[in-house]
Parts: sequence; structure tokens; C-alpha cells
Amino acid sequence: MEILVCIKQVPDVPTIRIDRRRMTIIREGVESIINPLDDVALEAALDLRAREGGRVRVMTMGPPQSEAALREAVAMGADQGFLLSDPAFAGADTLATSHVLARAVSLLKPFPDLIMCGMQTIDSDTGQVGPQLAEELDLPQICGVIDIRVQGRTLRAMRLSDGFLDTMETVLPALVTVGQGLHPVSDLSLAALERAFSEKDIVRWGLDDLGLPPGEVGLEGSATRVRRLYPPRPRRRGECVSGSPETLVDRFIRELESLSILGEEHGGE
Amino acid sequence: MAVNREMGKIWIFGDYRNYFQNRVTLQLISRGKDLAGVIGSETAVILLGHDVHQYAMEYVAHGADLVMVADRPELKEYQVETYTAILERWVRAFEPEIFLAGATSFGREFFPRLAKRLGTGLSADCVDLDIDPESGLLLQTAPSFGGELLAGVVTPASRPQMATVHPGVFQELPHDAGAVGRIVYPEVGDLAPPRVRLLHSRRQETHTVHLEDAAIIVAGGRGVGSREQFRLLFELADLLEGEVGATRPVILSGWARPERLLGQTGMSVKPRLLITVGTSGALQYTTGIEGAETIIAIDRDPEAPIFKMADLGLVGDAKVLLPLLREALRKRVATSR
Repeated sequence: MEILVCIKQVPDVPTIRIDRRRMTIIREGVESIINPLDDVALEAALDLRAREGGRVRVMTMGPPQSEAALREAVAMGADQGFLLSDPAFAGADTLATSHVLARAVSLLKPFPDLIMCGMQTIDSDTGQVGPQLAEELDLPQICGVIDIRVQGRTLRAMRLSDGFLDTMETVLPALVTVGQGLHPVSDLSLAALERAFSEKDIVRWGLDDLGLPPGEVGLEGSATRVRRLYPPRPRRRGECVSGSPETLVDRFIRELESLSILGEEHGGE
Repeated sequence: MAVNREMGKIWIFGDYRNYFQNRVTLQLISRGKDLAGVIGSETAVILLGHDVHQYAMEYVAHGADLVMVADRPELKEYQVETYTAILERWVRAFEPEIFLAGATSFGREFFPRLAKRLGTGLSADCVDLDIDPESGLLLQTAPSFGGELLAGVVTPASRPQMATVHPGVFQELPHDAGAVGRIVYPEVGDLAPPRVRLLHSRRQETHTVHLEDAAIIVAGGRGVGSREQFRLLFELADLLEGEVGATRPVILSGWARPERLLGQTGMSVKPRLLITVGTSGALQYTTGIEGAETIIAIDRDPEAPIFKMADLGLVGDAKVLLPLLREALRKRVATSR
């Protein structure tokens, strides 16, 4: 079974800091990680390979440094990594990103039986690239799966969707996005990490290798434009009270009275 | 183009699967009408399913000018591919300017596929929608970087302008049984059998929490201190006839169940009063509580960002204050009931 896992290198969001004057992310000193749900997808793919045989390839689109994410994936046990990197790919929305990925997938030999993605990323959090990749490749999709079984060419998956536990079935090739709870992520061994530095495991493709016109990728190939980035603005009274616990409790009760959530004292008897 | 105007320029996907819990379609109708007022159009709800007439009536009662229905046995279950095929045809035939869906699991699974097929832009999980006065474009406000920033997104050239919208950010219009709207049945055409089959579907048994409708919410973060301390929030909520909400770290610590999660990955709420205890004010969380009419914050750290977005801040230790607040409320509630 040929499995392809699409991953993304993301900033470790809890450590993100914002340059509030320029409204950009401060990238210096911010750790990069494989998007957590992509990690889960990769572990699930390795698990499937252990049961079904075959290969697990990983692919990412991103700046040159996202090669580190592929190396980590290889260290976890993936057979080969594909880095789609070109200055022309920068500024892509999900439409342009899925276009580049779809093109690269269509060049893979053999074509994957199963494509797996994390259900969403922690940086942009759209969850759109998976379904859009399935659409461009004309594959059936199942989103947010928490359990996968493959028997022959039949894939059966369970997923949670709007308060329902759905059991779904489709025929390979197909694309699934992976939700929370599919697989615990294991820690890497040192030996595995060393293996990650073998050069032959990574294939690098740019715009020319994919044979795409520049107008179809990156910002130019995107349908959306970000007009501005800004922090959510406060619009509150901002009254701040310090003092003894009794003072604070008293102030709290008076606030509830002024909101008519509590009646005036002794008024309700 | 007369025919196109008749079908409205603003479309809303009618997501009825969890109707009584999930009011996002009704919230979108309300916002859609605001936007329609600006661009001069009608607001249409798209309803796909089988025996769904009752929902069409509900959508009209909640303000839809028009409901476009496809009612067929094979549409009984939500199906990404079938729905995409029908809506591609309708969008190409009637050319809406704006197409919105709730950011439910299904909305976020199916709308990307539709946007891709139509070759148009889609923004995810928006927390606000406006018409930009200069360009007339739909201004889509989407959280970015875990809610640390908001992005103002537009779709300049391709149509329709599509967005999924976070449940709870807009207020639904009251049910008006006398409201008048048109219900139409555009041609559906042939449908290929879907490649994904739903074998069975079972409602998850979860304790139902009605955070979205709660008038009073008592919410807590890790700063509450411990699981035992967190239980006091439930007691306060009971005394105030409110509900309990929680931040992500609290859920991850197992102090409260996931359905109580507030914030970017949880619920956005609009209570009359929100009391937030031991939450420093990470934007990931505060995007979910911005809609509260009044916010009272309790935290030990006078520099905590939560105080900047509170109406009233009480600087104090939750461990000390929570039992005192409980006693004070008990006394007051006992005398007034």
C-alpha cells in the first residue's frame, strides 16, 4: 500500500510573539514543529504500513527550512520526503497550496492509494487544504477520522462530526484528514534521529519541476488577499480594583446588583 | 441577469443536522440580512435533504427572504460529493455574490471542496463579516495564529465570496410565525452515486451544555488552582443559574469536560455576564468571550491582559475569593428567592 502524508511545518503557537508595531509574527527564537495533527497522521500511516506493507512518503510545501520537518518524518520512519519549495510558492492561500500539492502528487509514481493530512494546522487553522487537494485530484474524502481500517481496496473509517459518530466506507484511492485521538505520538529514538540526516531520502521540487505557470501558485494563484492583520481590540470599561478580600467581594456583589442580576439587598423579601 | 437577482446575492447553507443545538444557520441569516441591506439584495438559504419542509419554514420564520430547496430521498444524509455537485450547478446558474456556511464539522469539510471546484476563495471560521465601504467587498475577519491575531480577508476577483463562520458570533432573529418568504425548488439534475458511503451514524452521548444560550457564564482557567477549586465555579454558576466555561488548559487538565471549552477552538459566547477566574487572557481564549455584554475578571496578577478586556477587574487570589463569593451569593440568593 502506497501512503502519502502531507505535512506542514508550523511555529510552535504557544511560544509565538507578535511585533505589535509591524503586525507580524516574530519568527526569531520561535521553535518550528511538525503540525501536531500531521504528526498524528504520520504515526497512523506508519501503523497502516506495519499492518498492510508498502511505503509511506511525506510531502510538504514551504520555505527551504521546512526540510527539517521532512527529516523528522523520515526519522519517525517515513520512506521518503518531498519538499516543494520555490520563492514563487510564497503567500499562497489554500486554493494555491492545494494546487501545488495536487500537481506534485500527480507526478508521484506510483500514485498513492491513500493520502493522509492532519485535519487542521495550529497556525492558520483552516482545515481546507485536505478537502481541496481531494477535489483537485478527484478523490473521495473523509475528514476528521479517528479510526481507519483497510481491507483490500476498501477503506473504512470512523469520525466524529457535529456530535455524531459516523462510520464511513470508500474505495481507494482516497484522501482522509486525521482528527484528534487517532494515534498517540511516540518519542523519537536517537538512532532514528541520526537516520534523518541521510541525503537521499529527500526530493526537492521547485516551480519548473512541477511545470506550473507562476500565475497559478503563491500569492498570484490565490483567490483571497489578507488586507490587514491586527490584534483583537479591547472595548471595555477596564475598571480595576485591589484591596482586601472583603472589599473585592463587596464590589462584586454591587456589580451584580447594578446589572440587576441580584436584586437590591432585602428588596426581594 | 434578472433571474440571478431573483435568487438573491447572499446565500447561506442550511445546516440543520443538529438543529436544536446548532443555531449557526439562523445566526447567519440574521447577519446575511444586515449585509443584504448594504448591497441591496435578498438573503437566500440553501436547503438540501429529504422531507426538510419544516426547516424551510423555520428559516423563513427566522428571516430568510428565500429558501432554495432540493428535496430527494438520496439527499437524506449529508454527502460532501453530492452536495458539492448540486451547489456547483446552482452557483453557476444563479451567480450569488456571497455564500456562507457555519463552521460546523460538515461546513468545514464540504465548503472547501465547493470553493475549490468553483475556483474561488474561502476563509475559515470567521468571527465577523462586513461589507467594506470602499470596495463593496465582503470583509471576512478570520482568526490567525491561534487567535493571537485577526486577519481581515477579502476575495477581490473570484465569485462567490465564501466563508465559514464560527457558531455563536452573531445573534439570531426571533422566530416570527407571520414572516413571509418564498420557497423555491430549482432543478437539481442527475446525481452520480457518492463514492463515500455512510454505513451508520450514532449520536454521541454527551452531557448537553448550553453555553451558547446561557445568560450568565462562570469561566475558569488554570489560575483557579486545582480541580477542587474549579468545582467552586460550578457552585457559583448554580447560584447564579448560569453555566460553566473553561479554557483549553483546564480541559487538558481534565478539570472540565471538552464541551465547556471557550475560545478559538471552542465556543464563542454572548452572555449578559461573564465572570472569568484565573484566566490570564490569552487571545486564543478571549476571542471566545468578546461577545459578552459585561465581563468581570478575577486574577492574582494585576498585569494580566485579561483586565484590559474586562469591565470590572478584581485583583485577588481565586483560592481566597471563591469561597467568600460563594458565601456572599448564598446569603443573597437565600434572601431574594
